[in-house]
Amino acid sequence: MTTVRRVRPVREKPNVLGGLGAFLWLLVVAVPLYTLLIATVQRSENYTAEGPLALPSEPTLRNYVAAIDNGLLVFVGNTALVTLAVAVLVMVLSATTAFAVVRSRSRWTQNVFRVFLLGLAIPSQAVIIPVYLIIVNLGLYDSLTAIVLPTAAFALPVCVLILVGTMRDISEELYEAMALDGAGVARTFTQLVLPMSRSGLSTVGVYAALQAWNGFLFPLILTQSADKRVITMGLFEFQGEYRVDVPGLLTAVVLSTVPLFVVYLLARRSLVNGLMGVGGK
Amino acid sequence: MTRKSPAGSAPRTGRPGALWAVPGLVYFAVFAALPMALVAYLSLTEWGGLGAPRFVGLDNWARLFDDPLMGKAVWLSLLLTAASWAVQTPIALLLGVWAAGRQRTRAVLSAIFFLPLLLSSAAVAIIWRALLDPNFGPAAWLGPALGLGSLDLLGGSGSAFWVIVFVSAWQFIPLHMLLYQGGARQIPESLYQAARIDGAGRLSMFWHITLPQLRHTITTSSVLMVVGALTYFDTVLILTGGGPGTDTSIVPFLMYRVGFKSWELGYASAIAFTLVLAATVVALLMVRFTGFGSMRSTREGM
Amino acid sequence: MTTPRVSAAAVAALALLGTTACGGGGGAGSDEMHVWMYQDTLVVVQEGAVERFNADSDAEAVIDEVPGDSYVERLRTAMGSSKKPDVFFNWGGGSIEPYVEQGMLEPLDDMLAENPEFAGSFIPSVLESGKIDGVQYGIPLRGTQPVILFYNEAVFEEAGAEPPETWDDILDLVDTFNEEGVTPFALAGADPWTEQMWLQYLVDRIGGPEVFERIVGGDSEGWRDPAVLEAAEMVAELVDRGAFGDAYASVSYTEGGASTLLSEGRAAMHLMGSWEYSTHLDQAEDFAKEDLGYTAFPPIDGGEGDPANVVGNPTNFFSVTSDSPHLDSALEFLTYTSQEEYVADMVANGEVPTTTGAEELLADSPSPDFATFQYEMVRDAPHFQLSWDQALPPDVATPMVTEIESLFNGQSTPEQFVDALAAL
Repeated sequence: MTTVRRVRPVREKPNVLGGLGAFLWLLVVAVPLYTLLIATVQRSENYTAEGPLALPSEPTLRNYVAAIDNGLLVFVGNTALVTLAVAVLVMVLSATTAFAVVRSRSRWTQNVFRVFLLGLAIPSQAVIIPVYLIIVNLGLYDSLTAIVLPTAAFALPVCVLILVGTMRDISEELYEAMALDGAGVARTFTQLVLPMSRSGLSTVGVYAALQAWNGFLFPLILTQSADKRVITMGLFEFQGEYRVDVPGLLTAVVLSTVPLFVVYLLARRSLVNGLMGVGGK
Repeated sequence: MTRKSPAGSAPRTGRPGALWAVPGLVYFAVFAALPMALVAYLSLTEWGGLGAPRFVGLDNWARLFDDPLMGKAVWLSLLLTAASWAVQTPIALLLGVWAAGRQRTRAVLSAIFFLPLLLSSAAVAIIWRALLDPNFGPAAWLGPALGLGSLDLLGGSGSAFWVIVFVSAWQFIPLHMLLYQGGARQIPESLYQAARIDGAGRLSMFWHITLPQLRHTITTSSVLMVVGALTYFDTVLILTGGGPGTDTSIVPFLMYRVGFKSWELGYASAIAFTLVLAATVVALLMVRFTGFGSMRSTREGM
Repeated sequence: MTTPRVSAAAVAALALLGTTACGGGGGAGSDEMHVWMYQDTLVVVQEGAVERFNADSDAEAVIDEVPGDSYVERLRTAMGSSKKPDVFFNWGGGSIEPYVEQGMLEPLDDMLAENPEFAGSFIPSVLESGKIDGVQYGIPLRGTQPVILFYNEAVFEEAGAEPPETWDDILDLVDTFNEEGVTPFALAGADPWTEQMWLQYLVDRIGGPEVFERIVGGDSEGWRDPAVLEAAEMVAELVDRGAFGDAYASVSYTEGGASTLLSEGRAAMHLMGSWEYSTHLDQAEDFAKEDLGYTAFPPIDGGEGDPANVVGNPTNFFSVTSDSPHLDSALEFLTYTSQEEYVADMVANGEVPTTTGAEELLADSPSPDFATFQYEMVRDAPHFQLSWDQALPPDVATPMVTEIESLFNGQSTPEQFVDALAAL
């Protein structure tokens, strides 16, 4: 990679067309985001009058205070719980499964892998009705667990696939070295396979977390009370509650993004690499 | 060795037994595979969500084939998938390749381009709904400013569909851009150096080196787009509610409306089962054409 | 991530799963009696009742405010689970029929017989509408909600216009306001139940209540009554004339768009349920008190329906789930809906109660004139038609409102509209 850095910028003429295209896309991305941000410091009574692009004449933070008063933090907390639970559940289950698929001599595990592959493209909408039936029968309706269980299940196929890819790259010599050390399966798994699959695991974590973070249909059908609302539900319900207080609604949207934005600032590299990994492996 | 004890472990070689796959498989079976089987069963019943489903044979399926709304929904879903692919792929590919360069400006812009990915689909839909509100949003201000009168994009038959295409592109292009950025960075620089010695221009290098080298990424990204387009449900629900009329009622939305508004969960299961079938076909094609499931190390293909 | 951290995280997550599971289990099975309310500005009345109830009784009642957009589906998913509400808001009619069929609701006849004073406190015809097949399942909890033609007096004054008294007046006003650059009628096209109000009045004025009675009786050929086609043609004419402006298809009522157009003077009139008054009182108080005008939907020449007929919601009801662990408390709670304080709260929030003798209280309403107008309108109506989408079972109502939306959007012609409904 270092060679690229040395060679490219020096040799090439500036890419005018590319720059222009990128600038246009910058407008497409940034103008709505700018409108969004200034709306959140706008007084709702001035929102329509002052136009979407002008800086507010009387900027205010009261929308933020109001959004927090409306229970947004509860929703953020619920989402954080769900996201963490889904990510860990998926990481544990996909790691053990992928380990078996890659290393087990049993033909049976190859069939397991095929089962997961067939589940790759199934959208959660397709099974919401039976999932509702199952959750109701488990007595889990209107609990955060009801969201976690199916969300994690539908993230599993992609995650198993990603980890199988990662684990296949661990060389046979390393396994042999572990075996010579007298390591058993469990030790091989925890001391060799897991550390060597770090990049895959972070991809899996990011992917599963995003599924949970974005989840909409499962919470919509499987929960109802205000104290079980996750962020996506909270925003959906706010739409009706705020009536025409668009700045208030948009403030809730912005605030709902803060946790992920903080993660982005702190761990941009692993988040980006994780996402690249979703397609790359 | 393992043949003797297929479910046990073989400590000497550190090879796991099939038992290691059991937790994942059981979990997946209960919360994903069982529901898929249940969808098939429920599609043969009449069920309103209360009491027990009543077996009615193939009634729902007969109705499905005659339902003009289902036909329309299938068409809209196919159109949405195709349009999303056609809009997102070129933009994501060009931006990704551009962003693969190591210049400082490109890094900064990439960071900004990434931002929509931090928003959930619900948030994105709410933002655009507010922006496009014909009476209280910027669109109300923009329409007259451009001399177009009222701009009710979400209320127009054709325009509402394209709003959904655009909004999902706005949301998902950053993801695909990242994939292409990653892919483009793995193309060996030596290929470009050789081409430059031959006097190739930027366009010709893009055409003859970058594109062919990115073919695996294109496949992966396209597959993700196709699978993703099956799930634009949240966007449709919040932005248009399937309307105006039924003009944006794609298959998942129709399933939701029939199931959770009309409470014909049996019939909705028949609609859902067509989604399962479609998704399985996509998965099979995916495994076949991308080599996802093959035994080779995945890094080799990049 | 190193191994110890992975396992630590795993332990943490499993612990979390455990706690969330417990948290979920504790919510509804607990000692609280859950009272579901449709979320809007009027819930304060029920909140008052819950406070009084909790002070008097050992039981602990809580109000679960469920957002209006998803009230019906949330209710049904919860009713299918073990976490049913104990007492819940509904519209009577088709909205509770599926639960009655499954035997999930508590018949209230005995309770009414034991409390004759309570039973006698409601206008008999209103109480009657809480019955399904002759059995009482609902107790009125709200004021009556006729659909009324609201208008902005300031806008009318500026245009020198008078409120409509005939259908021709309506057509003239459409032209007048279009010339003034004001949208004649605010319309929340993204919530087709608001469009349904237009059709309901038109069909009733043209053909009388018998037309819909046939349909609700299960005869979908009833949609082929000439009155339905004529009403649909009148809707198409309104749309073509620009009665609703050109940007109504994506306007939402629950998000407040249509009401705000009226209060800001960007629309001149708004056909809406009487709760519109409370909405304005809450969102635009000055407008509600100064400039909010109201009148009845005008008669139509040659129509068979009585021009005094109204459509809307006769009232809303509380029903009780029969397997509620708080059954006795729930029944006790119902009696709070006829208490003096409750009725006074309703009046203070601009509602017109359905209890007998409410007339005398109307002077305390924030707008006694409006309250009296509404009271007399309902009292004198020979027929009060429950909203179609609540009167019909959901598997007919849902496609029906979609067809209504298509008609108003000009996506289907009046003939196609009738054909589509007859095919339901």
